[in-house]
Amino acid sequence: MTETERGCPYSHVDFGLDTEIYGHYALLDGHREESRFHFNDTTRRGFYMLQRYDDVLEGFQRHETWTTHVRSALNPEPGTALLPQDLNGEAHAKLRRVLNPFFAPAAVKRMTPMAHERCVELIEELRPKGSCDFVAEFAIRYPTDLFLALLGLPVSDGEFFLPWSETLFAGFFGGDPAAAAAAKANIIAYFTEAVRERRANLRDPREDMVSRLVEARIDGEPISEQDILTICMTLMLAGLDTTRSALGYIYTHLARHEEDRRAIVADPGLIPAAVEEFVRLYPLVIQAGREVQEDGEFHGLDLRRGDVMWLGIGSANRDPRKFPEPDRFVLGRKGVNQHLAFGAGPHRCLGMHLARLELAVVLKEWHERIPDYRIKEGTTLVERGGQLTLKTLPLEWEV
Amino acid sequence: MYIAIDAGRCMGHGRCYAVAEDLLSDDEQGYVAQCGQTLQIPEGLLGQARDAADACPEGAISILEHARADA
Repeated sequence: MTETERGCPYSHVDFGLDTEIYGHYALLDGHREESRFHFNDTTRRGFYMLQRYDDVLEGFQRHETWTTHVRSALNPEPGTALLPQDLNGEAHAKLRRVLNPFFAPAAVKRMTPMAHERCVELIEELRPKGSCDFVAEFAIRYPTDLFLALLGLPVSDGEFFLPWSETLFAGFFGGDPAAAAAAKANIIAYFTEAVRERRANLRDPREDMVSRLVEARIDGEPISEQDILTICMTLMLAGLDTTRSALGYIYTHLARHEEDRRAIVADPGLIPAAVEEFVRLYPLVIQAGREVQEDGEFHGLDLRRGDVMWLGIGSANRDPRKFPEPDRFVLGRKGVNQHLAFGAGPHRCLGMHLARLELAVVLKEWHERIPDYRIKEGTTLVERGGQLTLKTLPLEWEV
Repeated sequence: MYIAIDAGRCMGHGRCYAVAEDLLSDDEQGYVAQCGQTLQIPEGLLGQARDAADACPEGAISILEHARADA
């Protein structure tokens, strides 16, 4: 007999562990088709897993009673403060209104020329080499540079900023905690200086985000220095690792599927549709956590205050009930825009349009310059657990 | 035919005005400017209206035969 928790079958799978590439999708697909819900007992508090597309979407939309007091089902303990994520309800909405204009499609469009220019510089640096570790030498550098530009900082600072952010990320996934703490202190000091400089020389707050953060009033009060620094840190944590990871999966796909690569090379007009389908097919943030604030019921699942919920983005995006033949890359797939890779509800990803721009610019500029490439023979691709990423992706091309 | 955009559900994903640019537009926050409204669909734009509804991850967009009194 299967053991159950409140009628829900157990899962003993630790989704934080590394696997071979696509290992997590295989596990998630198996879970979703085996039972509508699971109770996973691999963390101290355990969590209820929502896995079908409709359930996950509904979970995101239950934001009034399922809150971000838990942000990740895998790490339910309060760790690094994040803003606006840690806020809920009206307080969250007010801070989002301050930030939204800088991440809206119109604002992202203003960044487009710079995004192309920086991308070309990085590609041209690599092209003569004929090979690279795509993850370390390109995929993380590009979003780091654009993040600095978004804050109105020189992209050349990426050179010393990147080792700090990489050390800090590594700390979240089992790396050296002392090194991570030192890196975090360096980043905070760097942001502190940037904010100080901007207070002294305010720019147009409609175009410069740090100036806007300094100048904004919420209920008549300025945003505290501490909170401004937390916001900068959050944008960094949210935007760099995810974009790097998306690029890793996209380039693995394109290196292995010549017909899809040729289609993009032949017609760059297909790129926006390709980006959307890639983001659906290879979600990196496989789950968002929530904490239940009121006893209640979810389609027969009895929930109590304090329960931890797993909103299974990685399961929902590959749910055949919503996306037929979910493992296939289908350009122009019907309803692709409804994927949940960027979440839903009021906490949906603030940077989604910037992410789309970055991915599209890379696909265009790279394939114009390096249309043919392959994964180095004999490579085993390893996928980090928790929040998926490829540890390395050695690519080769003819020079 | 009408298109109705539920202000309670719209979260500013911006997919609707990306696929229905002759019908919908964005505001400074990146939300659809027609959020909370029910609009008559001009002739020839029913396809775009349906695409907008199919593009919304929140299910905030409905296509209606008649304008609802409560919309």
